[in-house]
Amino acid sequence: MGEPVAAVTLPRRLRGGRWLRPLGLGLWGAVLLQSGISGRLDLLLRAVFHPLVWISGVVLVVAALLELVGGGGVTPTPRQRTVLLLGVVVAIGVLLVPPRPSFADLAANRGRELLDEPGLNFVVPPGQRTLTEWVRLLRSEPDPKLHAGDPVRISGFVLPVPGDRPQLARLLVRCCLVDATPVGLPVLWLPGRPLPQADQWLELRGVMDTERLDGQTRSVIRAQAVRVIPRPARPLEP
Amino acid sequence: MSPGRLATAWALFQALLIEAMPFLLIGVTISTLARWLSPGGKWVRRLPSHPVLGPLTGAALGFALPACECGNVPVARQLLATGAPLATALGFLFAAPVLNPIVVASTWAAFPNQPWLLVARPVGAVLIALVLATLLARLPESELLQPALLEERRLVLPLSRVSLLERRSGVIGADPLAAQALAAAARRTPRPPLAEILGHGSREFIELAALLVFGCVIAALVQTLVPRPWLLAVGGAPTLSILALMLLSLVVSVCSSVDAFLALGFAAQVTPGALLAFLLLGPVIDIKLVGLFGVLLRPRAILITGVSAVLVVLVIGQWVNLWRL
Repeated sequence: MGEPVAAVTLPRRLRGGRWLRPLGLGLWGAVLLQSGISGRLDLLLRAVFHPLVWISGVVLVVAALLELVGGGGVTPTPRQRTVLLLGVVVAIGVLLVPPRPSFADLAANRGRELLDEPGLNFVVPPGQRTLTEWVRLLRSEPDPKLHAGDPVRISGFVLPVPGDRPQLARLLVRCCLVDATPVGLPVLWLPGRPLPQADQWLELRGVMDTERLDGQTRSVIRAQAVRVIPRPARPLEP
Repeated sequence: MSPGRLATAWALFQALLIEAMPFLLIGVTISTLARWLSPGGKWVRRLPSHPVLGPLTGAALGFALPACECGNVPVARQLLATGAPLATALGFLFAAPVLNPIVVASTWAAFPNQPWLLVARPVGAVLIALVLATLLARLPESELLQPALLEERRLVLPLSRVSLLERRSGVIGADPLAAQALAAAARRTPRPPLAEILGHGSREFIELAALLVFGCVIAALVQTLVPRPWLLAVGGAPTLSILALMLLSLVVSVCSSVDAFLALGFAAQVTPGALLAFLLLGPVIDIKLVGLFGVLLRPRAILITGVSAVLVVLVIGQWVNLWRL
């Protein structure tokens, strides 16, 4: 006959669901810290807010440890226990399931109002301009022919446009993914090749050109080389 | 819902949650500190009782005690219990959740390109507080305040305003000075220890985080599932958009320190008046606050508060739409 196995029990100060509160706080802290460590923040939030998330994560983890040492405070009521459990489940879900947004889906449900950031830079050589810089430049100048023939080297995701060829696009944010605004450029894709798929990230080399559409002249990129690339670590632009 | 849509909704939910959570933490920290430093003493009774100056002073107190509406209710109760004039306490209750640096900062963070909102939101909050304080002040205190709060309040109000019979404090017939000394002793409770403060703050954070999760789920699903033409049809109609966003703010019940981030999700599709209505109504009344107000006001007063706030916000929203559209 062996020794009876002692049941694993919580310290008395953490019984009655009192462990749930420190666990909840710790998990929310872990969510914020893990978002920073895993690079999720770059996908979800504008960089200016990242330090705030890091600090909050640390504060929540410290608060959880203090609560744990202090015994978790008063015993939660059944209703509070339900709320706490729900929070714990959601926090674990956020920790385990990373965000994988479809930028094309997101962009399809948004307006195309360009953010009025004072970022216009006419000094950058055409071949070094980003997609966003090109869009801002073209919208600020009414004559599309002005830039015809300029070399273009940009990257972005493929955004299907109803009734038109897919564009190469980027998402601009003021705050976070929720207010993302798409900006895109029409592309004359390589002839004889299938059109790229929605959400694919591409690096494109070509020249700026013009075309007539609905009686108006617009700028368009004539693609010369297209390469599939992984989604950049910081896909959002201010 | 297609897997791609679901994945996008999940990402939007995470973005909203992670963006708002630090602001929620700041709000809870400050409201916890405010409760620890809970206002009391004679200076509270010297605050103005003027129907206009009172609410304005109460609103300005929001900068000194910057809590969101949930942290605000206990502080407003403390003000009333220590004898603050009704006008000031009500002004604080209704305007301070918006007129505080945390809310201004989060509104700016969410809408850096809409400076008019940074002005219109506090101004609107003050207007609402003035109207509500004026209306509620017309009720006798016995019909306005919860009986337990009323008894506490009458203990500290001067005898020139409250008769001994109204005090119902068990000190009737005693020396009035002794009664006042008793009341003062009751107020001089020592500050709670740090562990208790931390416990209270963490409880508040966890409960508000649950509401935040709920609000983020709704906002993410609406953004992903509701087709843009529908959103534009409702959001583009001046009155309908205001009513829709007011209803949303009542249901979502999210804290004023983070509601701007939720509004961000609808900003592009709704009229400016509707956007402002969402940001103004939530801090004054929502489903969660109806429960919290129970420690302060009687049901009739809560009803007057709710109906009046909705009407005032509707008018402000319409006016903004006339101005901005």
